[in-house]
Formats: sequence, structure tokens, C-alpha cells
Amino acid sequence: MKAEKTNTLLILSLIVGLAFHGSAIFFTLEYTYDALIHLFFADSYADSWFDPWEYRWYTGFTVQSYPPLVHQTIAILSYIGGLKFGMFTVALIGIVLFITGAYRYTLLMTGSRRIAGYGSVLAVFSSTFVETLHIFGQLPSIVALSVLMHSMTEIYLYIKTGKFKYFLTTISMLAVTVTCHHVTPIFGMVFFLAPLIGMVVMDAAREQVDSYKELTFKVFWKTTLKHFWRIATFGGSGLFLIIFCIFPYWYNSKRNPITQVPIPHGSRDNFLEITSSGLVFFLIPWGVLLFILPYFFYRYYSKRYIFFGLSFTMLTILGTGGTTPIPLMLLGETAFNILTLDRFTLWATIMALPIFAEFGYRMVEGDLKILIQQKFGEVYHRILGGLIAGGMLFMVLFTMTLGYFRPSQPAQIRMLPIVNFLGADSHDSWRYLPLGFGDQMAWLSAQTNAQTVDGNYHSARRLPELTTRAIERIENSKFRGVEGIGSLQQFLTVPDKYNLKYIFSNDKFYDPILYYCGWQRLQQLENGIMVWEKLNVAPIPQIQPKQDVPTIMKIMWGIIPILTVILAFFINVQMIWVRLLKSKAVEESPFKKFVLPYKKFPSKLLMFSHVWALIVLVCISYGIYLFYIKNTAQHSPKNVMTAYYDALDFKEFKRAHSYLDPDSNVTIAQYMLEVSVTDGILSSYAKMDSLGVEIYDVTKNSAKAKVATRWITPLENVFHNDYHELIKQKGKWYIKPSKFDNDIPPDQLFTQNGTTFYNHGRRKITTQETYHEDVLKQPVLEILTAKLVNYKGQYSIIGELQNVDNSPADVVIKATLYNDDNKELASFNAKHQVKHKLMPKETTAFKINFEGIAWSSTKDTIPPTFNPDEFTPLNFEEQPTKFNIQSAGNTANTDLYKYVALQDLEFTDQGINGVLFNSGVQEVTIPQLIVSYYDKDNELLWVDHKFVPEGVRIQRKQFFNYKPLELDSLTVINSSLKNCFVNGLPNKAIADKVFPKRVYEHGPKQTQPYKGVGYDFIKIEINNYIGNPK
Amino acid sequence: MRYILISFISFLLFSCSSKEKQQIITVEHPLVTIESKKTEYIAGDHIKLVFKTSKVVDLKLQLKNAYGNVLINPTEINGALINFNIPKNYSRLAGPCHWKLLHTGNTLLNGTVSIATNKTEMTHLESYFGPRSVTAGYNDYSMLTIAPTDVYDNPLDNDTPVTIKYQFLENISDLQVTTENFIAWYNVRSTTKSGRILVTSECNGTTSKELTTIVFPSNATNFNISASSAHNYADGNQILTFKSDIIRDEFGNMVSDGTLVTFVIKNEKGAHLYTVGTTLNGIVEARTLHPDYPAKWEVQAFITGAAQSNLTNFNFQSAIKDYPVTFSKGNRHIEIGSFESFMNQLVPDGILVQLDIYNKDLKFIETKKTTTKNGSSTIYLGAYFLPNGTYTFKIKAAGITKEYTKKLHGN
Repeated sequence: MKAEKTNTLLILSLIVGLAFHGSAIFFTLEYTYDALIHLFFADSYADSWFDPWEYRWYTGFTVQSYPPLVHQTIAILSYIGGLKFGMFTVALIGIVLFITGAYRYTLLMTGSRRIAGYGSVLAVFSSTFVETLHIFGQLPSIVALSVLMHSMTEIYLYIKTGKFKYFLTTISMLAVTVTCHHVTPIFGMVFFLAPLIGMVVMDAAREQVDSYKELTFKVFWKTTLKHFWRIATFGGSGLFLIIFCIFPYWYNSKRNPITQVPIPHGSRDNFLEITSSGLVFFLIPWGVLLFILPYFFYRYYSKRYIFFGLSFTMLTILGTGGTTPIPLMLLGETAFNILTLDRFTLWATIMALPIFAEFGYRMVEGDLKILIQQKFGEVYHRILGGLIAGGMLFMVLFTMTLGYFRPSQPAQIRMLPIVNFLGADSHDSWRYLPLGFGDQMAWLSAQTNAQTVDGNYHSARRLPELTTRAIERIENSKFRGVEGIGSLQQFLTVPDKYNLKYIFSNDKFYDPILYYCGWQRLQQLENGIMVWEKLNVAPIPQIQPKQDVPTIMKIMWGIIPILTVILAFFINVQMIWVRLLKSKAVEESPFKKFVLPYKKFPSKLLMFSHVWALIVLVCISYGIYLFYIKNTAQHSPKNVMTAYYDALDFKEFKRAHSYLDPDSNVTIAQYMLEVSVTDGILSSYAKMDSLGVEIYDVTKNSAKAKVATRWITPLENVFHNDYHELIKQKGKWYIKPSKFDNDIPPDQLFTQNGTTFYNHGRRKITTQETYHEDVLKQPVLEILTAKLVNYKGQYSIIGELQNVDNSPADVVIKATLYNDDNKELASFNAKHQVKHKLMPKETTAFKINFEGIAWSSTKDTIPPTFNPDEFTPLNFEEQPTKFNIQSAGNTANTDLYKYVALQDLEFTDQGINGVLFNSGVQEVTIPQLIVSYYDKDNELLWVDHKFVPEGVRIQRKQFFNYKPLELDSLTVINSSLKNCFVNGLPNKAIADKVFPKRVYEHGPKQTQPYKGVGYDFIKIEINNYIGNPK
Repeated sequence: MRYILISFISFLLFSCSSKEKQQIITVEHPLVTIESKKTEYIAGDHIKLVFKTSKVVDLKLQLKNAYGNVLINPTEINGALINFNIPKNYSRLAGPCHWKLLHTGNTLLNGTVSIATNKTEMTHLESYFGPRSVTAGYNDYSMLTIAPTDVYDNPLDNDTPVTIKYQFLENISDLQVTTENFIAWYNVRSTTKSGRILVTSECNGTTSKELTTIVFPSNATNFNISASSAHNYADGNQILTFKSDIIRDEFGNMVSDGTLVTFVIKNEKGAHLYTVGTTLNGIVEARTLHPDYPAKWEVQAFITGAAQSNLTNFNFQSAIKDYPVTFSKGNRHIEIGSFESFMNQLVPDGILVQLDIYNKDLKFIETKKTTTKNGSSTIYLGAYFLPNGTYTFKIKAAGITKEYTKKLHGN
């Protein structure tokens, strides 16, 4: 036995790996999906090591819902240099562990230190590792997998030799893996360790015979029985570790089973249909390996590796997600919908590493090189080698820069102003909600003590309002279409239920819904984040509910994970030391006997690999060709229409202009001017969801198109039909530009006087809660009518309300439904069918719909597919018959713009055509019509609304069309002001005192006679959202 | 093992047995008398209770007042005289302070000292005033509540006089009230004039801070409006302004700024249009745009539930009497206009022109809309979209409809 020489390739890959990944993480890790979540967990441990309850997300959850080791390590390191220092240090440790792990795994598999060196180099440049670290940021997964690879050698040695010291090293490493990540060891047992055990037995069996040919199943079976107790000991202790080391995790899983409905994940998509998922979850992790697949299967289905072959096949198939039905069949519905399947591809590609290293070795200096040179010549060999190496490099660069070219996260937000805002003036006594922060919300949470209703670890959710929704976060709800926006709206409508007072908006997309749900802008912070606040929300109670766990669990959770690392370190350090410093000769590892001579590369395999590579190339080329045809804009009328709308959606007006008929003489300058003056919900706040182009009247050179678009806006879905004329010129299709409105406003310069209001929060600079003299009187409101009605099976409270005070009021209306036995059934606030800001003596109609979360038995009543416009049917005993209204006024001083007039009305068969005119000095971005319906006695029947898709510019008109409803199926269940309260006082007392001589005929005098189905009068009120108040 | 077990059981048995008899301890209480005769004090006085005892033993004094109980040790033992100094937090609180002299848990003596409010030192005032705004008239009021206390925060005795002053416009009134159950209060009635009422209070030479309530005007009463514009032609491009006289409440106050007034406009087609304005110095101004067709508007303004205005009329004459339509280029090029307004000037840009196209069987094909620019507008009907043939065109603009039947030919 002699001391082995240092493996230069390993040293080289460690240096290159640390230099490359180690410097790159500083530019990538903070933009990954997961890294900041782990940072937040780490902060939770750093704050209170033994207390697993974390109030800051989801109105409270337990951190015992995720194995803690990586988080706790970051937490310990954070005491030295802060959280981010901890995160980067752990990432660096992960990189080293991964490279050395890949080395030892390859060494174990091939028995050759030379090939193992190749393995470590390939590990550095493996696109799957790059993606997992730099795009996904899955630190625990990387560390766990790396330690698992390290432990494989020890497991082999233990089962082979049965020595106790190997048993110790085995379980010490396995324990570290378990406390890092729970999924890795569980599936690792199946996919990595089971085949490994198979291989050990195979090796032992091989030693008893002279060649693999003689190795029959009988021999194998005998050997298995011989090693049975070692395998059983290992298996049993492994199982024990998985249960014991993270016992509180299992305890918590039992107590708080994951009730979250499946959240769509790209790895479950059909990769052929959704090509972006295919790219991220299939093409990138496989990368160059795709071309060499036949070699992997060839090698893994040799006798020694046969179990790895089976496992590798399984992993490859499972990794294809929804492309084939096999993964769904194998995993079953539940597992398929909970697991993210990308991890299978990760494991498959990691499993392929040793064989890839072997391939590399044979290609660079082995028999494959000789074969290729013999068959195709030296130049071809060099080119081929260059192509493979170049391909690998390309994939690495492509993956690294993916986040740069197609950012998955909003630009980095400076958190300090937000943290300061939350810390000042007791703002953290309320909950907040970030909007449009991406995964950076976790970093904000980690820096403040304030709580949010949102969170970024959806398995730990407990609020039924969240677990029943297939949305990742409320914060990015716009990416989940109707369902996401609907869910966000519910939180915005009843913020008092969650003590939610502040919203930090980094995406102006959400502004209109905030306004229409009654929120108001507070200030813009210096980092550009807009703060919105809601009045009349109580602070979080001093004592909050908490789910406690037995002390023993807290101690286990706090001590075991770090202990496993310390133990593993002391048990293994001696061996590592010996190995690294080569201070002492170590005994020859038994697996080194199984190194292959690599004398003859089968030429059939070489040929087959070429054919396979050709097929892959053809597939890729075909994909690129399809992509090209689909995206050649002016190839057909349909293409040009699609391209035009796509350009408009992304606000690429120059490109849009290039599709317009060049003969129409619309210059780009003119076009940009015309586009820039249109404002409104569609042009400023909408995301196109679907586009249907219908081409008709097609001649050789002309066509007409009906374009049906569906837009996701923060308020509701907008369906829009547009008609275009198309012509063909010189083989290209163009769109005839639509005519723009030439209307000019009457005045160039004009003046307007008005009353503005300002409210000092408090006049003394003090930390006292509230100063008596700075408390404003709540403006007094009066509820004029209130009714419980049933329309199309849906219960609503409608009514009218007036600000009878002398200062402007912000209005909050909360209604509760009861049945005959006075049992409370549902409670909800007025959302957008009300004017939330009222000037003195202004009236508003209101309607309260009782949406999903309003009902007391939320879980049973939410339909499985959620649609905010769909209402929960109730059983008959639960029929509401009574109601209670609590309204509150608070002094308002913003959003009081009222100067939009109804300038013309025309009643046609196609509905009511009207003209709005903006007579003031602010541009109204989204006008809303609130239409109330009355019967022949001028009694209120129903309240409806319509958002006008285009804005009203100053001194200009805007046309609208409104289709009146048919109300014949409407029934008024209860009409009473008995249980109506204003600022906690009975409505009647207020009416008697403030408005003793009310003239009731003023209401009827302002309604519009209109003969409709089930009603005789209507009234149109206008509510204005101003996107950029001046 | 067995020995251990036996000894353990015997230990248990022994520990259960009790002592045969409890010793009877007899305590001899000393004879104690109180030396200090004073029982009336003023808050803040130094209170010292002196007892004379026959035997020096361990004596304790229990004190009890509204704050609670405390047990204190003698401060000084001077032969047979035992002194207790009453701590500050007991000597500063007005009211009865009960004491008990205890020896080994038995009460030897008890008594009460009564502590009166300290009137000699400065008086503190706490005052509250609310609501912070009231409505002009005879019903509303704000309540001023004053809690005068002595320097140690003891409420002053009932019937302590408190002077209340309040100012409204030129008048400063003052009056005296007395405390009852520790507070003095007064309802400052609202006035019929709007404005600001300042109040203050004074007690034993201490004055409170200034407090204020605002008297807002009461509900509006009926008012008058007028409409004005640069001209009364229906050109669709002029602002019509409605203005009210000063709107006042029943007491003659101008209604508060920002009061919303709705101007309901009924046109001759029976449509109820509206525009809104908010008052400033009692006057409301609201604007809307002229229609682009002749119309008769009847306007009335409302402050819903409170007041309404007179009815006023505004009639728009037609600005555009007629317009020419010319067809050219095989009737495919249609020029509508020029539109000339009331002085034969070209109309401002933006008059809506609508062209409805019907085929020769009067079946509707489509509508084209455009707006005028430089007085006229053009529509070109390309052969791509309307093949040659006979069509009927209906042109609507400025409230005038024209109908033509034309044969389209050529490109």
C-alpha cells in the first residue's frame, strides 16, 4: 500500500468551481426562486432558535415544516456577518461538497481515480447543477444531494466489508442528509441507495466467480442472503434516522396535514405544449447529455450497474412531467400534484455523471478516441470533442444568463425605506402585503418584525382562504389570472379580518383594484414603492394565537441537526484528513478492483449514437423551424393580427407600427402620439390573456379580421372585440390603421377652483398612542336604504348611503347575514360597487356580494374550481333572512375627484349609449359607472356597475355603452334599516339628529325613467380612478 | 435489591406517621397605646404614628388605602416609643388611610387617619372637549369636562368652583360651575352662526390649555342657479357653466366648503344627464359640454335631502344648418363637409360623422365612424371591401341625417 498521488483534476475542478460558481452566486443567488425563502427561515432561527412558531407569514406558521439544517447553519453564520453572509457561505460549502461528492461517487462507480477526476470537472460544468444553484437556488437540496453522494462510498464499504467504522460514517452522513432535506433521502433511498446496494451485492457475487458470464441469478441470490443482515441493519438505521432526526417535522405533518390545493408547476406541464417549461425542466438540465443518452443506457444496463439502469430509466421518465401519462400513473394523483418533478430530472442527470465522466475519459484518452480516429479520422475526433465541450459551455452560459435575458424576478428592490417605514410610527402594529415583489418578499420579511398575510412557503399555509387557492403567493396573483386576482380581491375587500393596513406596491397593475376596494395612496417611498393604506382597520391584537409543540420537540429540533453535523465532522474528519494530506497510506478500497480496462468501444454503439444524435438534431431544428413559422409576422392575415396584438400587449409600438399599411401615411411619430394619448384600463393595466383571430371575407389581397381578446385586468376580465381590415402588398400582409378621434377640447388654458383637504396625522411629535386633541371626529354617514335581495340565486345587500357630515368621508360598509334563528351565516364588505370616498352630502349606491371566504363554513362552500364571479349556492336551512350593516366613516382627504359629467344619453336597442365629459383638471384613467335600478315607486331594487375601458381625458368626451339588466327574477327578501349602524351608533338616531327635515323626493327627482324588465327607473353614478394624480 | 426495597417501604411508612402532640405556644402581647393624637392631615404632609409599648417586641403596621395594603416596619425605636413613618405613596393619596398595629398576626390597635386634598399647593387641570365639531343650530353641543386635581393627583372636593370661559366671534363668556363627583362639566351649545368656539377653564388659579370645536353650517336651504356660456349654439365644443348664488343654511351661514351639488339636466328626449360641483364660499360651479345637436335643457340642482334650486332652461340652437356630401372616384371617395358653423366658420375638429352602409335590398352591411378634421371628413370605400354594385348610404352628423343611393364602380 502506498500513498496515492494528489488527483490534479479534482484540485483543478475545485479551484475552477469555487472561482466560477463562487463568484457567480453573488450575482444570481438573490434572484433565484428559493434562496431568499431559506434566508427567511434562517432569520427565524436566528431570532428565536428554539421557538418554531413564526408569526410573520400566513398569520403564523411553524418552521418545523421544513428540515432545518441549512437554515440553522445560515442562522449561526449570520451571527458573524449577517444573513446574506451566511447564505453565501453555505452556498460555497455546497459547491465544494457537490464537486467532491461527484468525485467520490464517480470513483465509487468506476473505480478509477482518473475517471473520477473527469467526473469532478464535469460536475462543475453540469448545466443541471448550474440551474439548481443559480436559477432555482435550492440550497438544502444541493447540500443534501452532495452529502448523499459522499455517503454512498461509505455505504458501499459498510455493506461490502461489514466494518463498524464504516457503519458509523454511513449513518453520520445520512443523518446530515436527512436534516438538510427530507425528500432527498426518502427518494434517495429508493433511487440511489437501493441500486447501490444491488451493485455491492453484484460486486461481492462477482468476486466469487471468474467472470460476469458465470454470475447467474443463483449466485447473486446467495450473495444477497449472505449480506442480508448488513443490508437490513443499514436499511433499518436509515429509516430510523429519517424518522428520528426530523421527528418534529413528521409530528407537524401529522398535526397540520398539507391542505393546500395543488399549485400548478411548470415541471408537471406537457413539455411539447408549453415549450418554456420544456426548456427549463428538460432541455437545460439534460443539456449535452441528451446526445449521449444511448451510451448511458448501454452502460447502465450492463450487469454490474443493472439496478442503476432501472433507477435511471425511472428517473428519466418521471422527469418528463406531463409530457407522457406515465409519471401520473406511477406516482398517483396526489403525489404527482404535490411533488415538483424537476427533482427527478436533477437526480437522473446527477446519476448519469459517472458514466458521462467515463465517456469523457474514453473520448479524450481511451478506446473511443482510437475507434473514432480509426473510423472517421483525427480531425473528426477533434471536431466532435470540440462540439461536445462547446455544447457544454454553451449550456452553462445559456443557463447562467437566462435570468439576465428573461428575468424571472422584478429588479432588486432597496428594502431599507420599507423597513424604516414599517418600523416608524407603529406601522408594524398592522399587517402589510407586498405586491409585485417576487421572491424578494422573503428578504423584506426577514428584515422586519412586521407581519404579512402572504408568505412564500405554501406548504405551511393554514388560512383556508389561501389553502383553497391554487396560487403561489398573493403578491404575484396577476400571473394566476382570474383565480389569482379573485383571491387578491377577497383579501383587499375585508382587510380588517386580517388586520391588513399597508400595501407596498411595486407593480402599478394592481393600483386600480386597490382604489376600487377602498384603499388610498399614502406616499411613495424613496425606492419608488407606493404605499397604500386602508382606513378603519384595527391593529393586530396583543395576544395572538399560536400552535405550541411539546418542549422536547423544540429541543430536538434545535439540537439534533447541528449535532449531526458535528458528529459527522468528528467521525469523518480523520479519514478526510488522511485522504487529503496523504499522510498515511490508506487501504485499497474494494471497489477499485472493478475498474474496467476500456479496451474496445463497441462500434455498433458508436454508430447508434450518431443516429441518435442526428435524431436529436433534427428534432431541435424542427422546433426552431416551427418557432420561426409561427413568429413570421406578415406571412398570413392571422399572423399579422397576432403579431400586432402581441406588440401592443408588450407596448412595442414601433413594431406594431411596422404592421400598418405603409400607404396609409401614418408616420411612426403620429402613431406614437396617438397611442400615447389613449389611457384606460386596457392600455395601462391589462395583460392579454387570450387572443382569438377570426379571418373572413378573404380575397387574394384583402381580408377582414374580427379579433376577440380577453384581457386580465386587476378589476375583472375584459372581453373586447375589434374589427380590422387587412391588405396584402408585395407578399406581405398589413393592417389598415383605424381612424383616431380628432376631437379637440374647447379651451387651451382654463382654471378651476376647488376645496382640498389635509389631515395632519398628529401634530405633536410623540410616541404616545394617540393624542386626544388630534383625534378627528368620524364623519357621520346616513344609510338611506338597505335591502337583502336574491338575484339569480345570489344573495346581496344593496342600499344607498349619504355622507351627511361637513368633511369628506372614507366609507367602509360591512354586512352580515343571519337566518331565521339568528345564526350568523356570512359577513363581507362592500368591494367596488360603492364610491368609497364621499364629499359632504354626496350619496352613493352600494352592493355587497358575499364571495367565497365570506361564508362561515368556508371550506365546504368554496367550489373546487374557483371563480370570483361565481357564488356559493346555499342549502335551504341556511337561507339568509336578516342582515346587519355596520358602516364607518373616516375623514378622507384624497381621491375626491368628482368632475366627470354625464353629457349625453341615448336609449337604443343595443343598450344605453352615453357620453362622459371630464370638466376638471385631472385625467381620469378608469371611469366606473354605478347603475342603480328602481321600481315604479322609486324603491331601490338592484345595483350594478360597469368599468369603462378607456379613460376620459381632460375636457374630452368618452363614449360608453351599457346593456341594462333584466330583473324579473329578483326578489327582495328583507328591506329594513333596523339593524343598520353608523360608526357604532344606530342609523335612526343619526338620521333624526343630523337630517331631521330630510326631503325624500330629491332621490326620485334624480332618477332616469327607463322602462326595463322588472324596473322603471335607473340612476347612473360615476366613480373615477385617477392613475397619476397631479 | 430486596434490602433496598424493604428499607424504601419502611421509609414510606415512617414518613406517614405524625408527631404525637403539637406544642402549645403562648404569646404575651405587650400593652400598646398611641401617642400621636393628630388624625387629620393634608395630602403630602409628613405623617408619623408613634406608639408607646410596654415591651419592645416585633411590631408591624399595616396600612390600607384606596391603592391597597402594605405592611411596614418601625422606622425608629426610641425606648418604649415606636415610630412609624407613613410612606409617601400613602401620605399623598387623599381619603381615609386605615392602620392596624400587628404583633405576631394579632391586631393590637387600629385606627384611621383622614388625609384631605391639598388645596394649598398648585392645582392641576385635566380637560376634555368633544366632539371636535358640531352643527350650527339649537340641537348640537360639545361637552367640556374638567377634572381638577391637587398636586398629587387627588381630585378636588365636590363643589370646588371651576371657571369656564369660551369665546365665539367677539363674545367671551365665562361662567362658574362646581365639581361634582370629582369632575366639572359643561355643554357648550352650538351657535347659529358657524365658526370656531375656543374654550378654556380655570380652577384655583390654574388655567387649562385651549380647546376648540368647530361649528359647521347646518344643512343647506334652497338656492338659485344660472347657466352661462360663450354662446348658445350646439357646436359640441363649448363649455356650459352652471353657477349658484351663495348657498346658505337656515341661519344664514354659507354651507361648508366641498359640499357636493348635483345638477340634473333633462333634455328634450327625456334623458337625465348630470354634472356635479362642490361649493367654495357657498357658491357651486359645475360644467359640462354643449351638445352637438339642437337641444332644450332643463336644469335643476340638488343637495340631496337638504335643498334644491330653481329650474333653469338653456336652449341650444343648431350651429350646423346643413353640410354637403360629395362622391367621387367611382363614388368610392366620400367627402362629408365642409361643416360650417353659425358664422359660416369651419367647425372645430372632432364632430362625429357616422356612415351606415346598406346593400340595394336595404340590408345593413356595416357602420363606419370618423370625426371631422379641418371642417370635413373623408371616407374611402376600397374595392377590396365593397365590390362594385349599388348601395344605400346613411350619413349622420350634427343631428342631421342624409341618405344616398349610389352605384360603386372602379377601384
